[in-house]
Amino acid sequence: MLSESARMSSAAEARFRIDAPNSKGRAVKIIALDQDSERVVKRLAQRNWNQASFLTASAFSGAPKRGESFSMSGWLSDIAGRTKDLMQEVGSADLVVMVATAGGNAQAAAIIGEACSAKRIMTTGLIVGDASASDEALSKTLGQLRPWSVMLVIASAEDYIEDMLVALRA
Amino acid sequence: MLRKEQNDLLTQTGPGTPMGQMFRCYWIPALMAEELPENDCPPVRVKLLSERLLAFRDSKGRLGLIDEFCAHRGVSLWFGRNEDSGLRCPYHGWKYDVTGQCVDVPSEPVESGYCQKVKLKSYPLIEKGGILWTYMGPPEKRPPEPAWEFAAVPDRQRYISKREQECNWLQAMEGGIDSSHVSWLHRGDLHTDPLFKGAKGNQYNLGDARPVFEVVESAGGLYIGARRNAENGHYYWRITPWVMPSFTMIAPRGNHSVHGHFWIPIDDENCWTWSFDYHPVRELTAAEVAAMRDGKGVHVAVIPGSYRPTANKDNDYLMDRAAQKAGHSYSGVAGFGMQDASIQESMGPVVDRTKENLVSTDNGIIMARHRLMRAAKALAEKGVMPPGVDPEHQKIRSVAIVLPADVPYKEGAKEVLVARPGVAPATV
Repeated sequence: MLSESARMSSAAEARFRIDAPNSKGRAVKIIALDQDSERVVKRLAQRNWNQASFLTASAFSGAPKRGESFSMSGWLSDIAGRTKDLMQEVGSADLVVMVATAGGNAQAAAIIGEACSAKRIMTTGLIVGDASASDEALSKTLGQLRPWSVMLVIASAEDYIEDMLVALRA
Repeated sequence: MLRKEQNDLLTQTGPGTPMGQMFRCYWIPALMAEELPENDCPPVRVKLLSERLLAFRDSKGRLGLIDEFCAHRGVSLWFGRNEDSGLRCPYHGWKYDVTGQCVDVPSEPVESGYCQKVKLKSYPLIEKGGILWTYMGPPEKRPPEPAWEFAAVPDRQRYISKREQECNWLQAMEGGIDSSHVSWLHRGDLHTDPLFKGAKGNQYNLGDARPVFEVVESAGGLYIGARRNAENGHYYWRITPWVMPSFTMIAPRGNHSVHGHFWIPIDDENCWTWSFDYHPVRELTAAEVAAMRDGKGVHVAVIPGSYRPTANKDNDYLMDRAAQKAGHSYSGVAGFGMQDASIQESMGPVVDRTKENLVSTDNGIIMARHRLMRAAKALAEKGVMPPGVDPEHQKIRSVAIVLPADVPYKEGAKEVLVARPGVAPATV
C-alpha cells in the first residue's frame, strides 16, 4: 500500500490541486537613481504591468550639508515628470526596487532607504552594467546601495530587471 | 513565477528539447565508479536526460554507455553476458562492444559483414574522481574533461554519494541556491551535525539571524553571497557558487570538509542528487567518512544495494512528529539531505511555477532561471556554448570570509574563489 506522501506527490494527484488565485497583487515601485538607469526604467515602463510603477530620483543632487534645509519632495518624479512625494510613494509600496548603473550616482538610495526603513518596506538594490564599469566605480555604487538593500543584485544585462519584475508578479 | 512555456523550457531535458540540448553540452556524472568495479562485471541500467542506457566495463577495462536495448528484437541488454570484450544479448547472441558497435550476429555468415551495419547509440564514459562521467552531445563538440577540484584531489581527500530524488531536477537544484531556507528547514542541525558544528562562522550565523543577500553574476553562473554582521564594521560572508547548469558548492565551516552537489535529470520527474565532500589540503578523517556513510552532512543513508534513501516517500520520510514538537528537529525529517528532498518531492513531480509567489530574497533563483533561459536560447539560435562548459569555470571554490563593509565580495574574495591545488580554502 502506498504511503500518503507517495500517493499525494504523484502527478495524478497534482490534478486535484486547487486552481484558484492564491495571492493579491503587490505594489512594486521601481526607482531609477541616476540618468542611465532612468533610461532603462523608462523603457520598462512602456510594458504592461500589474501593480508596478516607475519613478526616477535622478534629479537628486546630494544629501544636505550640515545646517542646510532639505525637502523630501521635489526631486522624485514619475516617468512623465510629475513630482512625487517620497513618503507617500513608499507608504503605498510592498516592495521598492532601486536601480543604479555601476559607477552612477546612487546617493538617493540613502534617503529612499531611510524612508523604506521607517515604513518597514522591503528594498531591493539592482546594479546594472557592471561589465563595462571599473571595480572602483562598481564599488562606489555598491557602497551607496548596500546599506539600504535587503537584497542586492549585480546584473550584467538590463533584461534581467524585466525577468525579475515578471517573476515577482509586479 | 514563470509562464507555463518557460517552466516547460527549463524542466524538460529529453532529446531535442532546448534544456536537453544544453545539458548535452557538458560532462555530467553518470555513475559512481563503484558501480562498475571490475572488468566484465554486471552491466548497470542508467537513465539520463530521459534516455535509457546501459553501462558496462569490458574485459579490457574499457567503459561503455550504450542504448539499453538490442537492435535485433529490443531485448534489454541488462540481461546480457559481459564477456570477451563485449556484451552479448542472451536471446539470439548478438554482441556489442563499448562503442555500441555490433561485433557478432551469430545467425549471419561472418563473411557477410552484416554486424558492421548494426550500431547502437553510445556515449563516451570516463572515470575521474570516483565518478563515471558521460557526455551526451555531438562528438564534434565534445568539451575538455571535467576540471572540478573535488574530482582532482587524491581519493582520500574526497567522499562522494548519490541518491535518487523523485522530482524534477530544477526544483531540487533551486533548493541549493535558496540560501534563505537554511535558517528554517535546517534549523538545529547546524549545531549538532558533526560535519558542520564547532566553526567560528556558526557564531556569526547565530548572532545575526537576518542575513542580507547579494547575487552577482560569474563567468560560469552566479555567486550568491549571504552577509552577516561581524566585528569592527566588517561583514561575515558566505559565498555559494552556482555553475551552470546544476552545480553548487556550500560555503565551508571551520576546518570541516567542503560540500556541494550536482543535480542531474534522470527524466523530467526524477533526478540524481550527487553530493560530495572534499578537503583541498588534507585527508578526510575516519570519523568524517563514517559520518558521511551514516548519512550526516549533505549525504543520506540509502537502502543497501540501492541509491534510494532509507527515508523516502514510501515511508513518509520517517517523519518524527514527537521530535518536531520537542524541538529536536524543525521539520521532523532527519538530516539535511532528506529535509531538502522531502520538501522538494512534496511539490509534485514538476512544480507548477505559474502559481508560485516569489519574493525579493528569491533573486538567486530568479537570476539562475534567467541565465539558464538566456543560455538555452543562445545555444538553440546561435550555437553559443553555455557558461560552465569551459574548465576554467569549474575551477571555483565556495568561500566563508570576513571583509571590510565597503568591499564588493567578488573583488575581496577574488583570489580565494578560485581553486588552487594545495592551497587551503578561505573559511571561518
